[in-house]
Amino acid sequence: MDFDPMVMDAEPQGPSVKITDATPHSVDFTLQSVDLSFANSLRRTILAEVPTMAIDLVEIEANTSVLADEFITHRLGLIPLNSKNVDDVVYSRDCDCEQYCELCSVTLTLHARCTGDEIMRVYARDLVVDPLRQNQWVGNPVITDPEGLGTVICKLRKGQELRMKCIAKKGIAKEHAKWAPTSAVGFEYDPQNKLRHTDLWYEESAEKEWPKSKYADWEEPPQEGEPFDYDAVPETFYFEVESVGNLEPDAIIQQGIKVLQQKLAAVIRDLADGEGQTNGINGHGYDAPRSPEDVGMDGAWGQDQGYTTPFGNGNGTQEPQQPWGGSATPYGATPYGQQNGWANGR
Amino acid sequence: MNAPDRFELFLLGDGEKKCSEAPDTRTANSSVFTFNKEDHTLANILRAHLLKNSHVIFAGYKIPHPLFATFELRVQTDGSLTPKEALVNTCRTLVGDLEILSREFTKEFELRKMVMGDAAATENK
Ligand SMILES: [Zn+2]
Repeated sequence: MDFDPMVMDAEPQGPSVKITDATPHSVDFTLQSVDLSFANSLRRTILAEVPTMAIDLVEIEANTSVLADEFITHRLGLIPLNSKNVDDVVYSRDCDCEQYCELCSVTLTLHARCTGDEIMRVYARDLVVDPLRQNQWVGNPVITDPEGLGTVICKLRKGQELRMKCIAKKGIAKEHAKWAPTSAVGFEYDPQNKLRHTDLWYEESAEKEWPKSKYADWEEPPQEGEPFDYDAVPETFYFEVESVGNLEPDAIIQQGIKVLQQKLAAVIRDLADGEGQTNGINGHGYDAPRSPEDVGMDGAWGQDQGYTTPFGNGNGTQEPQQPWGGSATPYGATPYGQQNGWANGR
Repeated sequence: MNAPDRFELFLLGDGEKKCSEAPDTRTANSSVFTFNKEDHTLANILRAHLLKNSHVIFAGYKIPHPLFATFELRVQTDGSLTPKEALVNTCRTLVGDLEILSREFTKEFELRKMVMGDAAATENK
């Protein structure tokens, strides 16, 4: 307890970010003042739990191409669809409709028939998006090539035809990779391998045989004969996030952060639920019982009695929450502390 | 054919709670929290950040079976706060940290966009 204040002094002011490169479909950044678990959880959410749109249901009216129905269906599913402001779309499973409707899906139709002698290619641009949808972006096939064609779906010979109705739904990559917002997330730390988290295989010398990461120049190389630092932990994380094109790279990061926050909020909500009862039992009191929503999503940190009261009294339990727990300063100003926070998307 | 539906990895079943606490009667100030429809993404970050609390003397998690999307987080404290309080505290701190990250990222990205916009403008001249 005595050393707590010192620890607190050394506590950095929360995560810091430096963007090192950005293009329309990628962003590279370094993340600092966070630990490995934090950086890794962010990476994992970005990879697998950021919602996007993808074709999920295909009603085939005609397919006389050489490809089997399920083959084409699979290819359709993998076409990246614009997912800007996908929060406007609800999950089909949460929707009140029978199977799908304009609140929870976007309909794309595909009708192609080859009439000429030349082999015809059917592209993503041939998908016709139904204007009945939640916003003007959602469901548009992502087309980035200079010719404006998009991905090839199928090739047709004279007389062959494709006629199908595709239903795009909201989902996450944990269910199927077609909903992934990223094609790759680069994640790297300790490029000099000072921490020895990697054991490099070599014939004569690891230094000679292994190429250095481009981030190696950004960190001090180990000194000759430097003793191993057993207390060292990874501190700087190099991210390289590459979008599939359905979401802008910054939106992917922001959504990832949001998803992670929602996970944590769900835990707070479940555990703080019975707070009303525990109040009396163990004497630590929240001032008033709060509705689950209140505790999980809102005020808790903005209003701040949440943790200052029960743990702040005397036992010096202030952990890193100090920077914002102490007052409403950094918080009150954000959309966060004030009202609904992330629930209705920023 | 009999593969479980993939959404079982993240969709809570009927009446299932995200997180529940079971106090350990054999050890003082310790609880096992069971999380449903979560994986290492949440487990590891909670574990690591609980350990940053000097009043937490043990925090560890396990995934009892790879086919079930659940994990158990065991927390023991020194008694100055309950495991539940420690966990809720940790969650709140993390939400705050993430909020800072979000803000920092927005700031940096806007700055970057401005710089890029200027560069593109001069290039096109
Ligand atoms: Zn619907």
